[in-house]
Amino acid sequence: MTILIILLKSILIGGLVGFAAGMGAARMFNAPTVQALGAFRTLGEMNACEGDPASHFSFGLGFFFNAWASTVGAGAFTQDVTHRVIPNWAASVLLLKDKRVEKTVHDPKKMAIAGAIIGIIVVSFLNTTASAIPKSLQVTAVKVLVPAADLLINIVMPIIFWLAAIDAGKRSGLWATIFGGLSAMIMGNAVPGVVLGILIGKGVDELGWTRITRVMMGAVIALFILSGFFRGFDIQMIESFKLQVPSFINNMHSVFNIK
Amino acid sequence: MDEEKTMEIDKKSFWYSEWSFPIMVGIMAAGVFAGTHMYFVYNVGAFNEVAIVAMLKAGMDGGSYGAAAAFGASFLFARILEGSLVGILDLGGSILTGVGIGIPAILLSIGWKAPITNFWLSITTGLVLGLIIGGIITLVRKYTINQSNATFGADVMMGAGNSSGRFLGPLIILSATSASIPIGIGSVIGAVIFYLWKKPIAGGAILGAMIFGAFFPVSLK
Repeated sequence: MTILIILLKSILIGGLVGFAAGMGAARMFNAPTVQALGAFRTLGEMNACEGDPASHFSFGLGFFFNAWASTVGAGAFTQDVTHRVIPNWAASVLLLKDKRVEKTVHDPKKMAIAGAIIGIIVVSFLNTTASAIPKSLQVTAVKVLVPAADLLINIVMPIIFWLAAIDAGKRSGLWATIFGGLSAMIMGNAVPGVVLGILIGKGVDELGWTRITRVMMGAVIALFILSGFFRGFDIQMIESFKLQVPSFINNMHSVFNIK
Repeated sequence: MDEEKTMEIDKKSFWYSEWSFPIMVGIMAAGVFAGTHMYFVYNVGAFNEVAIVAMLKAGMDGGSYGAAAAFGASFLFARILEGSLVGILDLGGSILTGVGIGIPAILLSIGWKAPITNFWLSITTGLVLGLIIGGIITLVRKYTINQSNATFGADVMMGAGNSSGRFLGPLIILSATSASIPIGIGSVIGAVIFYLWKKPIAGGAILGAMIFGAFFPVSLK
């Protein structure tokens, strides 16, 4: 009975996500004229497949296995379902009928419909088969995938973005280093800080300190202060320096009492 | 890529217009938020990486939601800013991590469980959140990108984003080799087959590790 409920919910979820992922991906080919929803790596990878249905399909398939293993192991689909599997399989299906990418893969309407169908199939499959997999496979997946994903997200990605920021010029390197270090301490991961550093650095390179870049800088600072406060970073920092925590700070935290 | 320019883009139609963007984000967010509902209730179906879902899991198991909340919310914020400036809203950071992990963690940390435990409420919550996010981006675009020609380092981030995906394969093999010797051998064989077959080696490494792990099981300590 539970499996039937899971299946019905999966059909709805898969349809929603697939529709938006397909439409968003097709709009990427028309960005920045049209605001799109997707990812740079998706755009790059879809271009790399050069409109060949077999390439799109097998590229999606590789990541489908990855997603399947991760779902089996930890119940997590991986971001690849929306980034790679749905867009590439939708593209592959459309290209079977018509080889011209501008009439198929770049058309948000066709991609949305194909994406919705693929999404329903993929999400239902992943959610219903995960419970049917032997335990030893799940243990292996967790043992292998979790440490690898941890390393990727906590070490590798920050370094790649950081080095890219440093190579992109003095200003983005400077701000990426400052915000990256702060965000590693405050948010537990350096990537958001480095990305903000690149935004600010390149923004100032191209525009100077105009109203837009100043507003962005203010927003970034507010972001750091707020997330630092809500993670209790201020108290931890004061305590780490062997100082007394002022009572008004403790009072402020008890107002918001976030566990 | 030149021929696409000749294609006529009707910016008034639903499929290409500015106003349909919030709707698209709303549909995506509804599905993703409901995916988090699935994970919360059935332990399967979250639209994110294992490491990020693990932060939410830490809170569900009685620990703190703080990590998931701060990580998700800050990613969401950064991506909204970036997305409106570069023309592509990063699905992973904004919706999958922000709406799918960060916002549920905030709601759960203040004890507001209904939007996550009730399926229909989760879809509605996601839809509303997506509409708000999409609306903000459409507004920011109106006042920033449409008034300047700056790219804000989009090319830098695009390059870095592309190259980070390539690291996963070798990382999986390294982590398989430290799990056990049979699993390590399995993942190397799988990766080699996928490499010769011209596929991303990450998939082969995982499959190989899982096949060998089925015959020579290890235990989670």
